[in-house]
Amino acid sequence: MKTLKILFVLALAVAGLSAVWAAVDDALSFAHESALPFVKQGYIIREDAWGGDLGVKDQQAVTAQLFKGNDYWFCLGTDTKGAVVTVHVYDSNGKLAEVESYQRPGKAGSGAYFAGARVIPQKTGTYYAIVTVEKSPAERTNWALVYGYK
Amino acid sequence: MLPRLIPAALCGLAFAGAAAQTPPQTVDLSKFPATAVDEVVVPVPSEVFNVLDKLGSPNWKGEMRDSLGTNTGNRAQVALLLGTVIAEGFVAVEAEDSQRVKEIGQEVLVLADAINVRKAVIARSKSVIEKADAKNWRAVRSELDGALQDVRAAMQELGDEDLAQLVSLGGWIRGTEVLTSIVSKNYTPDGAELLNQPELVAYFSRRIEEMRSSRLRKEELVAKVRKLLRDIRPLIAKGSIPVSNVQKINKLTGDMVTVITSGQE
Repeated sequence: MKTLKILFVLALAVAGLSAVWAAVDDALSFAHESALPFVKQGYIIREDAWGGDLGVKDQQAVTAQLFKGNDYWFCLGTDTKGAVVTVHVYDSNGKLAEVESYQRPGKAGSGAYFAGARVIPQKTGTYYAIVTVEKSPAERTNWALVYGYK
Repeated sequence: MLPRLIPAALCGLAFAGAAAQTPPQTVDLSKFPATAVDEVVVPVPSEVFNVLDKLGSPNWKGEMRDSLGTNTGNRAQVALLLGTVIAEGFVAVEAEDSQRVKEIGQEVLVLADAINVRKAVIARSKSVIEKADAKNWRAVRSELDGALQDVRAAMQELGDEDLAQLVSLGGWIRGTEVLTSIVSKNYTPDGAELLNQPELVAYFSRRIEEMRSSRLRKEELVAKVRKLLRDIRPLIAKGSIPVSNVQKINKLTGDMVTVITSGQE
């Protein structure tokens, strides 16, 4: 498995890793754009982010330690034109934990699509932000996720 | 930032998900393949202190340590010490002690220099000092969070992922000592619930077990941290965390901070 991973990394490098990162960076800038309204509401957006690429109907779970007493927004962005992505947050029992969520396209012509989910944890513990590519014209869809708290 | 993106990029493997735009009320997390679940995200200290702000008005000055500790030159000790010093910065912010925050800003630079990541934190350190002078506490917190992340990122770039983990652990240990001290002095189940971090503790344990450098993994100080995590795990098992467990965790983490800061193994 380790060997496979190394080979995969090398293959990516040969295939033009910089192009992959450029695409993820675009998704990341859209994730930050998605989070912008919440910054204005006093949320502090973490400087690190999570992301990658997924096929249609694929899912990725980002595991997070959340604290009761904080109020969180998870904000997702993609730069894949025509893609629809979602993020929803579940507690460690697999129960939907968010109090609101959104999905919307970015500015016309930008190719961006945004999604977000707000969690006000009723308990301190482990939560799962599940990213899903609902539909996409592309085989692989770039995504990036950031979260903020207040 | 990019190194954190790599695992997710590699792990984005096919999983025939059932989620639609209207999300299901429940999901079976056990059916998620391991590759589709990222390792737990380590919270930044601000997330914890943000909650502590809402738990009344503890005597933050009483929580401050007299000494920031001694740098022994041992890289594992310096990495752990750097984490504790950054966490101390948050305590000093809560105590609104600008002089102490400025000392911490300088010390972060000295310790970062000792593990070859000085360049990564020069701007942060300067900013911490400037913002402490201006008593802009929210901004100081943000810079301290940023300093921790910058140090980690610089270490990862240098291929020192193991040491980067120790910086996070040092911060977590000192942060947990402070948290348990405050909660045990004015115990409430809600306050104690902040310690409900079993996945995070398990994650830290795994990271130590999987350290690439067997020499580092076997170092006495690292072995003590591993034991600390093992001892804490049953104390924060699911359910309400009683005051006796909070006190035990406070003793365990306090002793560990003493070992780290004194440089005695």
